Amino acid sequence: MLARTCLRSARSVAPVRNVASKTASRSASTSSSSEGAASSFTMTVAGSAATAVAVGSIAWYFHLFGQEAYAMTPAEEGLHPTSYPWEHLKWNKTFDHQALRRGFQVYREVCASCHSLNRVAWHALVGATHTVDEAKTMAEEHEYDTEPNDEGEIEKRAGKLSDPLPSPYKNDEAARAANSGALPPDLSLIVKARHGGCDYLFDLLTGYPEEPPAGAAVPAGLNFNPYFPGTGIAMARQLYDGLVEYEDGTPATASQMAKDVVEFLNWSAEPEMDERKKMGMKVVVVSTVLFALSVWVKRYKWSPIKTRKIVYNPPVKH
Amino acid sequence: MAGLASTIYNSLIRKNTVFLTTIFASAFVFELGFDSISNRVWDSFNQGRQWKDIRHKYVQAEEDEE
Amino acid sequence: MSALTSRSSALLRTCARQRLAPIAATSMAAQRRGKADQATSSFDSPFRGETSSTKIPSFASYKSSKGETSNKVFQYFMVGTMGMLTGVGAKATVQDFLVNMSASADVLAQAKVELDLSAIPEGKNVIIKWRGKPVFIRHRTADEIKEAEDAKWESFRDPQPDSARAKKPEWLVMLGVCTHLGCVPIGEAGDFGGWFCPCHGSHYDISGRVRKGPAPLNLEIPEYDFPSETSIVIG
Repeated sequence: MLARTCLRSARSVAPVRNVASKTASRSASTSSSSEGAASSFTMTVAGSAATAVAVGSIAWYFHLFGQEAYAMTPAEEGLHPTSYPWEHLKWNKTFDHQALRRGFQVYREVCASCHSLNRVAWHALVGATHTVDEAKTMAEEHEYDTEPNDEGEIEKRAGKLSDPLPSPYKNDEAARAANSGALPPDLSLIVKARHGGCDYLFDLLTGYPEEPPAGAAVPAGLNFNPYFPGTGIAMARQLYDGLVEYEDGTPATASQMAKDVVEFLNWSAEPEMDERKKMGMKVVVVSTVLFALSVWVKRYKWSPIKTRKIVYNPPVKH
Repeated sequence: MAGLASTIYNSLIRKNTVFLTTIFASAFVFELGFDSISNRVWDSFNQGRQWKDIRHKYVQAEEDEE
Repeated sequence: MSALTSRSSALLRTCARQRLAPIAATSMAAQRRGKADQATSSFDSPFRGETSSTKIPSFASYKSSKGETSNKVFQYFMVGTMGMLTGVGAKATVQDFLVNMSASADVLAQAKVELDLSAIPEGKNVIIKWRGKPVFIRHRTADEIKEAEDAKWESFRDPQPDSARAKKPEWLVMLGVCTHLGCVPIGEAGDFGGWFCPCHGSHYDISGRVRKGPAPLNLEIPEYDFPSETSIVIG
């Protein structure tokens, strides 16, 4: 129906089309026609003008939208982190669990005084960095609120494996009050939550200069760190050589501690990484074979169709 | 060769039910084998990195303390 | 890259070729028929000097040198292997979704409750929460144990001897949920010196067996264990 309507309308515009095609054929054959000279000049002018308009509008559009927009000054952006060859970020590597254990030690002895890690429970450490008994012992060192008892009072009890790691402050307000207005962020997902991930955290932890460079404005109560967006960070430098004594005897340099704690925080952000990569490897292997097989089967099924020849036997004349 | 092929064809493929059963049985066997092989490959990629590789240090230490 | 592609496609082509033989045969037959009809055909070939419409090239070089059976075995092997791998993948996928529904690590961590028994004096009830439900733990006295064991349990509504309800006779561990409609019974109450459900008046004896009232079953016993003399793990 629609097609028929279209056809009818096409027929009604046929004269117009004829005129248009005539014009087109004339301009296409200008070089050979007698009125060529003037017409070729107009065509050149028109063509050049059209080109100029096209180029100009593209240039204008690019001027408006094509360029990268920098909303921030480089200082506000922060120095981009160096890309480090993290072993655990390779596609076929798990976390180094010895490093996780060291990293947890660093977190517990250094970071935990201000930062919470409340999406990690004690039982998560079991089988990753600590044995059941170690985790139980550590959990029992902390007190947690009980559920309301018969009188509705909330009492204290020793921690259990099912409890999350304790927060250093009761709530965000208490944390702000204790840190002159700055809230130490929860570190559970910090590796996923910051641009640059592990690289950024490592650079942030180890990138505090001895003193701010000349000309840098450091507001009162803040510290200078070139990697932190805005360069003024409320956290002071925390990691110094020998701050922690590792139980496995690894020399506790500042960069070693930073590396370990960053790896630990990466684990806390994605504890499933080991399993995920292992499963990914299996999936890739099986899918590759499956893909090759399916290509073969496709060709197998199509080969009669692709190689057939249709023979036309014309009718016999009588 | 031809004898082997026709033996396989007649025993496993000729009847559709047998063929399907063969496929499912081999899927079961394959899964076991593939899992164990890929786990072994994975462990060799990650020698000394996983918890099971360092666990003995801490379990041992605790038994000594007791 | 292109070398690899061409080689792999050549390989695949070789694999796919084996089906060609019968097709070639049919088209040959067609050609022959064409030739027979040729003399009287009205066909006017657009190609100069060409009288036949059916010029079929020779497919002889594509013909498999192996027998039919071994080619079939190979073809079924390829298809079967694909089915097998698909099956393995589908099974793993379904399994992952089902495992997703099982208890998560934080629930499992709460699934067991450990309790110090030395803090419970004889003849006292303790109520703890386990998986969101109350659990009664009673340190029974010698008299109570005797009473529980001597009761004529065969005639009860839900006949159970006391030995089936307590692993150690001095410790009775039960889920504190009335089997009638799920109220929490009151301890040391009721006509039989055990528990009494205030909602609809079910009476339980000192072994937690229902003796009177609408409750159909005895109080449920959770799984528990005594890892040492003075501690209990429920769950």
